[in-house]
Amino acid sequence: MKKIFYTLLVSLTFATTAMAQNISVSGTVKSSADGLPLIGVNIIVKNTSSGAVSDFDGNFTISNVQPNATLVFTYVGFETLELPAASVMNVDLEEDNESLDEIVLIGYGSKSRKDLTGSVSIVGSETIEKLKPVDVSQALQGTTTGVSVSTQSGSPGSGFRFLIRGVSSNTDNDPLLVVDGYIVSSFNSLNPDDIESLTVLKDAQAAIYGVEGANGVILVTTKKGKKNTAPQVSYNTYAGIQETTKKLSLLNASEYAALVNESYAANGQSLPYSNIAGLGAGTNWQDELFDQALMTNHNVSLSGGTDNVTYYLGATRLDQDGIIASDKSNYIRDNIKLNLGIDINDRLKSTINLNYFSNKRKTINESGLGSVLFNAISYSPLFALDQEDLAPIFGAEIINPFSQIRDTYNTYFGSSIEGNFQLDYKLTDDLTVTSRMGFKTYSDKGKTFSPIVDYGPNKVFNTSRSTVSQSKNQYDSYTWDTFATYKKSIADKHNLEATVGTTVIKNWGDGLFATGFDVPNNSWDFADIALTTGTSDAKENGSYTYDNRLLSYFGRLQYDFKGKYLLSAMIRRDGSSAFAKDNRIDYFKSVTAGWKISDENFLKDSEVIDFLKIRGSYGTLGNLVGNDLYRSALSGEATYVFDGALTNGVANGPIANANAKWETAEKLDIGLDAKFFGNKLEIVADYFLEDRVDLLIPGLPVSGILGTTAPGSGSPTVNAGTTRSEGLEFLINYSDNITDDLSYNVSYNVTKIEGTVIDVNAEVPLTGGSFGVGQPLPPSRMENGQPIGYFYGLQTDGIFQTQAEVDAYPSQAGLPGGVASPGDIRFVDVNGDGEINSDDRTFIGKPLADYYMGFNFSVNYKSFDLSVYTYAEVGKDMVRNYERDEPDVNRLDFYLDRWTGPGTSNTVPRATTGATNNKLFSDFYVEDASFVRIQNIQIGYSLPQETLEAIGMSKVRLYASVNNAFTFTNYKGFDPAATNGAALGGGIDYGFYPTVRQYILGLNISF
Amino acid sequence: MKNNKNIISAILVFTLVATGIYSCSDEFLDETQNYNIDSETYFNSKDDYYMALIGVYDLLQASYVNVLLGEIASDNTLCGGDSATDVPGFQQIDDMSHTSVNSNLRDVWSWMFAGVNRANYFLEFQDKTEFEGRNAMVAEVRFLRAYYHFELVKWFGALPIKNYDAALQGAGTRFVPGDELSVSRSSVEEVYALIESDLMFAVSNLEYSSLQVGRVTKGAAEALLGKAYLYQDKFSDAATVFDNVINNGPYQLAISYASIFENQGENNVESVFEVQYTDGEGAGFDCLQCSEGNVAVGFMGIRAPSYKPVDENGEPFTGAISESIVSQLEGILTSNGFLEGRLFDGGYSFNVPTQEVADVFEEGDSRKDISILDIQDLSNSIAPIQFQDDEFGTVTGIENGAYFIDYSWVNGYEHTGYYNRKYLPRRGDLGEGDPNLTNPNNYRSIRFADVLLMAAEANNRGGIDDSKAQVYLNMVRTRAFGTNANNVTAAGTELTDAIYHERRVELVGEGHRFFDLVRTSQASSEIEGFQAGKHELFPIPIQEIQFSNGNWSQNPNY
Repeated sequence: MKKIFYTLLVSLTFATTAMAQNISVSGTVKSSADGLPLIGVNIIVKNTSSGAVSDFDGNFTISNVQPNATLVFTYVGFETLELPAASVMNVDLEEDNESLDEIVLIGYGSKSRKDLTGSVSIVGSETIEKLKPVDVSQALQGTTTGVSVSTQSGSPGSGFRFLIRGVSSNTDNDPLLVVDGYIVSSFNSLNPDDIESLTVLKDAQAAIYGVEGANGVILVTTKKGKKNTAPQVSYNTYAGIQETTKKLSLLNASEYAALVNESYAANGQSLPYSNIAGLGAGTNWQDELFDQALMTNHNVSLSGGTDNVTYYLGATRLDQDGIIASDKSNYIRDNIKLNLGIDINDRLKSTINLNYFSNKRKTINESGLGSVLFNAISYSPLFALDQEDLAPIFGAEIINPFSQIRDTYNTYFGSSIEGNFQLDYKLTDDLTVTSRMGFKTYSDKGKTFSPIVDYGPNKVFNTSRSTVSQSKNQYDSYTWDTFATYKKSIADKHNLEATVGTTVIKNWGDGLFATGFDVPNNSWDFADIALTTGTSDAKENGSYTYDNRLLSYFGRLQYDFKGKYLLSAMIRRDGSSAFAKDNRIDYFKSVTAGWKISDENFLKDSEVIDFLKIRGSYGTLGNLVGNDLYRSALSGEATYVFDGALTNGVANGPIANANAKWETAEKLDIGLDAKFFGNKLEIVADYFLEDRVDLLIPGLPVSGILGTTAPGSGSPTVNAGTTRSEGLEFLINYSDNITDDLSYNVSYNVTKIEGTVIDVNAEVPLTGGSFGVGQPLPPSRMENGQPIGYFYGLQTDGIFQTQAEVDAYPSQAGLPGGVASPGDIRFVDVNGDGEINSDDRTFIGKPLADYYMGFNFSVNYKSFDLSVYTYAEVGKDMVRNYERDEPDVNRLDFYLDRWTGPGTSNTVPRATTGATNNKLFSDFYVEDASFVRIQNIQIGYSLPQETLEAIGMSKVRLYASVNNAFTFTNYKGFDPAATNGAALGGGIDYGFYPTVRQYILGLNISF
Repeated sequence: MKNNKNIISAILVFTLVATGIYSCSDEFLDETQNYNIDSETYFNSKDDYYMALIGVYDLLQASYVNVLLGEIASDNTLCGGDSATDVPGFQQIDDMSHTSVNSNLRDVWSWMFAGVNRANYFLEFQDKTEFEGRNAMVAEVRFLRAYYHFELVKWFGALPIKNYDAALQGAGTRFVPGDELSVSRSSVEEVYALIESDLMFAVSNLEYSSLQVGRVTKGAAEALLGKAYLYQDKFSDAATVFDNVINNGPYQLAISYASIFENQGENNVESVFEVQYTDGEGAGFDCLQCSEGNVAVGFMGIRAPSYKPVDENGEPFTGAISESIVSQLEGILTSNGFLEGRLFDGGYSFNVPTQEVADVFEEGDSRKDISILDIQDLSNSIAPIQFQDDEFGTVTGIENGAYFIDYSWVNGYEHTGYYNRKYLPRRGDLGEGDPNLTNPNNYRSIRFADVLLMAAEANNRGGIDDSKAQVYLNMVRTRAFGTNANNVTAAGTELTDAIYHERRVELVGEGHRFFDLVRTSQASSEIEGFQAGKHELFPIPIQEIQFSNGNWSQNPNY
């Protein structure tokens, strides 16, 4: 494909040659301000498609130019220059003061970065190219202040979650995601190669998004062609090998057998293993399970533009295998992207952005009890690879992980078309009207086959009848914005911009699902409902529909005086179909202001300070959660047996709350932007304070007399709380050219967040999450004055060494495991009542970090470039909950340090199969999960200009990189960065699929 | 020309804007179609009532835990399970060390109140739509409300009842959030008065036959009413209503005691009220009350039963057991008459009978082997049988492919060697979903034998008619021994003791024992760890005490 295009280009050039005696133009482009060469300036022969791009030294060459031709020089941040062609041209470009800074999206408009009055972070395409994220979400981790990105699984195709300035809601903390003006629910449909920039709105400036803006807004701009640029074809590819970043340190066979023997002996039972001596290391299930897996990515794009048309076309395929069972766990993503901009005339412009996306995925059971990894770390090292637990010794839930993989069959396919059509019409020079329709239509289908299997007696995963379950879903949405922007400058002093408009959003969809029984031959090859004959009496098929709508009007007024004093105010009226009529309309307001001190006379000529601005914002935003809570529907389950057959009826669903409304955030931000020493040093600092009021508390615990435990029922969701997040963000960035050949950039950012529950109007503290199996007291809490979702359990104080110590200490008889013995954990009598029971539970940790940090560093030397990205979270805890409480399961190797007699250990309790309180949720299970992760190391080599010219290329770069190179942490589990994202019940490690380390070799070519 | 273009564009844009604003009235928000039925506008036809009625029945299946714990709490069984920490809530109740922090007790409270609430939802709308047969349907719902209340009053004593006076007249009102702060606990007497009122309505509006198998009958209502009287020591009221159901109802003792607890014995002539289960739709551990199967049965199953082929020396050989062996095995067992050709599926070995209860059976009592499975006896009956495996032919080390079958199991926690045979998982059941949670064994809630024994007790303890009591008692004993040679002729308190003994052996494993001991004041002498004045009632779950914020006080001594 690219060859054909290249040939075409060459032959076109020949065609021109035939017509006239043409010249060859070469020269250098420099900045008039500092005389430094400008890299990447677009030079095009006017009204033709030929041209060139300046190289690292600002040099360019264009051959076969007609003598009377005009060359157009365009470069971002500089004024466009048109000059008659000459054989030698040394050109100085003037800085364009209007666009000196990046243009930043602020929702329904854009603004020069230096004029911003809100707290905004931006990640550009260079960073995305460096980080090579599989999902564009990863590009925000460690590169911006105030944003944290997490996943609960490293398996291919698993999703990511964002938190902007921490957790405020215990329902939903996902920011609003907007791509080229249309709203999406995740970025998984986007190909990172197609992204131009990511913009994060963190404060009250996002009030223009009203009821959807409380968790912050992430705006994505996709790549577009540039006007008057020659067609450029790029081919980017990489291939990588993936491996696990971590294996848990478990006991080997002899250590395991010794521990099991010891625990049996401690409870007076006979020893299961008579001869430990010859057992050796046994099977290392993790070594057997984890594999190296391949990933490849290919991306081809074409972009360019003429006077009135710009275009960008891209196609990408990503193919990623899982590091466990790559034939059963993998991900393939295809994207085709088209962005087209057409200036129909001087006044009317249209833009079309389209993205086709498809993804195919297979998964294994990957998180928590019942997952492949959980089985692998619990299974006995004495067992052979194909050995089932026939005795059984592990209880009902643990089976051979390889058998589990063997019997896992599923497939998922989804595809979408999304994009928008936009028209901008300039009514007068000051007034522009924009209307755009963004849409997304996604459909998917899934199939899961569960064969007849027998993993040994009593196993919950045994199936006596094979089933195949299939589903089809359709998700549609549109976002229709219409707004007018009036821009006026009065007497060159008063700059005014007003925007009014309306947004209509509709999300709707439906789905069908069904299950067939008795699959022929018990085989995946025959797994389709069409071939099943069996039926079940139960209702095994179903459907659903949804339809949510939002109607909004908004207005924004921006004013500045001589660009020095900046002020803006906005208001938005939102109405949502998710709430009862009386509660569906609300107004959101905010004001922002800024003062560019560096434009004042006393700083204007400063040698040190190039730019200094202070800014502030305050306003209210909403969090649109709590769909249809006001409806009391008959959605419960009512099934009984009459005449020996299942009979279905109706029953109440979750308790309705007619007064439910959305959550509201009140946000304050005070910030400072500064640049020093010739723009080499940049500092951005922010203080923020947010109160989240009318917090929607889902599943508010209520009295059992309300019948909420009936099948299909549930607790009501009630606006019953307030949280406060307070914090600081700081970013420092330094870039310099040491010589013409050597330049570097160092950047550090840190965000400190303190989240506290101020008020919860529930009669009992809200609890969530789960710990262990069959332990009734949830480990996570939401309580006034404490961090959201903090860990609530018993506090430990070492190990009882002797019976005398036990006798002298307050009795633990009030705990489920009864009185303590030597070797058991000593719990603290927190309430001082002389006995230890569940009332002595207290704060023992919190899931969210105090500090989020990024440290990033890059160097360019001649044709080489090197970059390192680092991310850290400090001051967070995680709960070790991937250990199954069964006598015969394998354990982490820290149990080697267990108590075996007085003085042997004061940290790890004795081994016994008897009932103890050691398994109760206590700080023994809470670990510091602070970590520093080197996210990416990359070294690249670009061919020098002369070579490029010789082979007719504009860019050839080879690189090697490592993603997730190292993680420094004391945390014992697979991944200290993983979380299920829940505000209440987060930070509990049920056994996460670890993040993968990727060794990547890649190539970028442009011509 | 250019101007024209501009005008066309301008018109285009304005049309767009205008359409946008026009369509953007707030009515746009009203037109969603999300297909759900509002619970407050329901009950518009007989079908609607019938559908809601099914919802009221549904919670009966959740009472499996009451039955299981009724045994575990008593002197009939030990908790068992996998280890001392397997279901701590069960273990604590077995040891009488339970506190108000007990998720299983909370299940009993919440699930039975869920049943009450569904009944009251129906009763709230009972007068909305007129249709034929409405009174009978209302009668079923009131029976069910009484059933749930009866369970709750047995476990927890005084209960919150909304709009008590209206409820007594047959009205129903659902609890709403906040009621826990204002609705106080009605006394035990008041709760029983409501139960009686509901059941009397059911008695007078139902027939002895029901429209569908599994639905409430007049006989069920009479039997439960009699039982409620008996629990209050209202012996003459109890005797009257029991005499009536014995004399006028359609019930008889099944000829074979053994047949009652097999699948074929469900809803038989002895069945007065039975909670219906099926193996057709399961659930997971996250919602045990959602299962349409009898969850208790899987919990009581034999721990890891398996037949393994062994050689002459009893050493296991590697190699699979062929299908033909399985059918041979079943054939041999059938021809030996052992277990009527049936074996049992595995389970979690909870609720294991004690040696003491096994020893309580008299010599010649046929019920012992039907009620209590001796796992060693079962194994012994299989082990000596030698098999020829045609399919696998010669196996290394064993000539001619002949081998023995070793029946084995795993000793669970507190292994006694005994299992509650009445409610063991039967081999061959479908077990949709999780097979352990989806056993079809119906719970025989009220058997005619139970009615006879309760009638005997009422007539005897009420000093009404000891000879009638003897007749009822001996009907049960005659079936058990296959002869009337063992009939009881005693009277007075001796007869009372005989009736108590008979209740224990006739109904062992059926969840009645703990409450029988409590209501007859024998619990503290029979149950280890039972403290009189405390353990007669279970504690109100700690969360409920917290929710009520002082409105409800804890039961004594918890």
